[in-house]
Amino acid sequence: MTRSAYLRRQKQMGRHLFGVFPAQYPREIFWAMNTVPVEIWDPPLTTANANGHLQPYICSVVRSGLELILQDKTRILDGFLFPHTCDSIQNLASIVNDYLGIEIPCCFFYHPKAPFGKGSRDYYLSQLKFLTAQLEKLFGPMDPDAFKRRVDQGLNMQERLAKAYEMRRLGGLAVSNTSFYRNIRLAEYLHPDDFISGFETFLAVSKGENPKGPGIILSGILPHLEILRLLDQQGVRVVDDDLLNCNRRMPLSAGRAQDPYEILVENYFAMPPCPTRGSPIQERIDFMMDKVRSTDVQGVIFCGIKFCEPEWFDVPQMVAAAKDAGLKTLLLDLEVNQPLSGQLATRVEAFVEMIS
Amino acid sequence: MSWVQRLSYNIMKDLGAPMVMGLAAKAKKKRPAPIHTPFGPRLKCAARLKEIMTRHYFLARYAKGAKPVAWVTSGAPVELLRAFDFYTIYPENHGALCGAQRLGPEYCGIAEDHGYHQDLCSYARIDLGHALSGKTPVGKLPRPDLLFASNNICQTVLYWYRVLAHRLKIPLLLFDTPYNFKDIRREDIHYMVDQLKEMIPVLEKVSGNKFKEDTFSEVIHSAKDASLCWGQILETMQQRPAPMTIFDAFVHLAPIVSLRGLPVALQYYETLLAELKERIDQGIGAIRDERKRLMWDNIAIWYKVRDFSNLFAERGMNFVTATYTNAWAETSAHMDVERPFESMARTYGQVILNNNLNHRLFLMERLIKDYQVDGLVIHSAKSCKPYSVGQYDLKRILMERLEIPSVVIEADITDFRAFSEEQTRTRLEAFFETLEASF
Repeated sequence: MTRSAYLRRQKQMGRHLFGVFPAQYPREIFWAMNTVPVEIWDPPLTTANANGHLQPYICSVVRSGLELILQDKTRILDGFLFPHTCDSIQNLASIVNDYLGIEIPCCFFYHPKAPFGKGSRDYYLSQLKFLTAQLEKLFGPMDPDAFKRRVDQGLNMQERLAKAYEMRRLGGLAVSNTSFYRNIRLAEYLHPDDFISGFETFLAVSKGENPKGPGIILSGILPHLEILRLLDQQGVRVVDDDLLNCNRRMPLSAGRAQDPYEILVENYFAMPPCPTRGSPIQERIDFMMDKVRSTDVQGVIFCGIKFCEPEWFDVPQMVAAAKDAGLKTLLLDLEVNQPLSGQLATRVEAFVEMIS
Repeated sequence: MSWVQRLSYNIMKDLGAPMVMGLAAKAKKKRPAPIHTPFGPRLKCAARLKEIMTRHYFLARYAKGAKPVAWVTSGAPVELLRAFDFYTIYPENHGALCGAQRLGPEYCGIAEDHGYHQDLCSYARIDLGHALSGKTPVGKLPRPDLLFASNNICQTVLYWYRVLAHRLKIPLLLFDTPYNFKDIRREDIHYMVDQLKEMIPVLEKVSGNKFKEDTFSEVIHSAKDASLCWGQILETMQQRPAPMTIFDAFVHLAPIVSLRGLPVALQYYETLLAELKERIDQGIGAIRDERKRLMWDNIAIWYKVRDFSNLFAERGMNFVTATYTNAWAETSAHMDVERPFESMARTYGQVILNNNLNHRLFLMERLIKDYQVDGLVIHSAKSCKPYSVGQYDLKRILMERLEIPSVVIEADITDFRAFSEEQTRTRLEAFFETLEASF
């Protein structure tokens, strides 16, 4: 079933739909409000209208997200959420809320930036409650029991995702890179009831020895489908990642508190290091090097998005650390949905030759 | 702090700096005023400003070891650091200075050679280029003991200062100011106040000085007076003819950015304000024939300030206001010595770039009316996304509401590789035509 068909079905089932821009937000609160958060990362569109609002030096994630709205493909949604991820998304929120004249309500979510103090936890908690209040205005009061249930479900989902990553790392998943990320990324729009059951099946049928081949780590914002396909063709295994829309949103430890809000607070502060949360660069390097040490990788591919400041400031330090560890590195400056050019393919193939 | 370095700093402060300034003044050849010029008489204060800023950078060479040194972002609440006697350096101000001297591409290139992408903010690339090579037109910048950033102007400073903290292996204090998607909330203020209070032990440790609330209040008092005075200076441009241009203001804002909270900033602005009032009384304008009054949006194009100043003045066009220069005056009324921490949160949490675009729209509408603006020049700065994203919409809405002609210049603040002379010239010619037709 296509994403749009699935979303229409959710709507028919009486669920609300919320378009969510990248990257960090508490999806459990939406679930508890009988709402499906639908993440907007890389809609496959040709950009035309967004250029009238955005300069040429704005990244393709923001550009394609705006294009989706301008092409009137978000009419099915009951609202938008703009987490405070970067300067471009911050201002995009204002453009959409104030100037497009659309009638879909916008909500905003500010998450604190590191270094975190005691005030950061209190503030994050207040932001969670503020988000709930914003949604309650739209959809009515949240049922505390449903909230508790959905937070538990979130933990359950995290557990399964972590298990999938571990199986892949240990060579126990017989799936292509393309298939792995296609399944992981279903979490961007599936209702948890559907995701968890579907993912269980995926893990069960995929159990098996991973085909051998040189291993790499992917770093960056999101996996690029064409690059994944090329890596599959070349017999390269992605053994782990440091991608913003995948592993960098999976808490390193599960929240143990009793109160569901407190669990969400624990989850946020247990997320892997990320520039969008202000984490020190050394923590990012350590996070990547831990992955290197626990696997048999030969190289790292940095899949940057053109004009993405949070990512590109960190890259030189991460490249240096990877090289110091004897790894080969490849830097790709991509647009989302960018077709694979001959030059790009040659660069990836040359990299694969080096690590093979 | 070492007593030898402190002694050396004090000698330079009391003897060396005045001597160097004196020699520089003597060596400076007086340029005869050009006969055919569109400009009015030069501001007398300009020489004093140069002296103050030269002295600031001169003394910076001797600050290391004599005083705790911090590198600070332009929107950070420096008043707190002043209470610990930090010597503060503003990499953004240094970047502007490098940009004005057309050194941007050279210093950015050094950072690029070390892997920093050419699409990153050019202030950051200049600063990283400096940090990696030691190159600077001001002689030498002291290595910081601490980095102090606030993301109220952009998230870029956070990414950039993280790199500095990583490379220099020194602490980074971030003053995280929640972006005002709508109005500022009580929880936002609490969060910011908590952060400021949590910084005190770190600042005491790094500086070796104890926090004194009285000193903090005195600094706030001084900063508030200087900011209010800066606001009055900008307001003088509401007069016709305006006694100075916004290009002057771009230069004269250096003390409010870099020396805010120090007595010298207030003293300087009082002198400048007196001079401007005198010019108003005598009907002296910054340009001789002020026919059109313009507004500038965004940071200056530092390598083009002189060229643009001439280009517009020759046509009798004067920039009388800017959203950028206004930023250091807009929220200073919130500063309150009775509630130092909360007032810092309110002042710095509500600066222009930490607010939604409607805030900027209303501000621009007000400035257009108060300063009787005829046209708007919008600098779409590749380096500054929070300032630039949304400008196309603002342009359209201002045209719809106020019928104000405007032009967008696609450029960069310091890296002139992102500037197209021909494209800009074509756009400006069309703008001039529209503006003339609107008489």
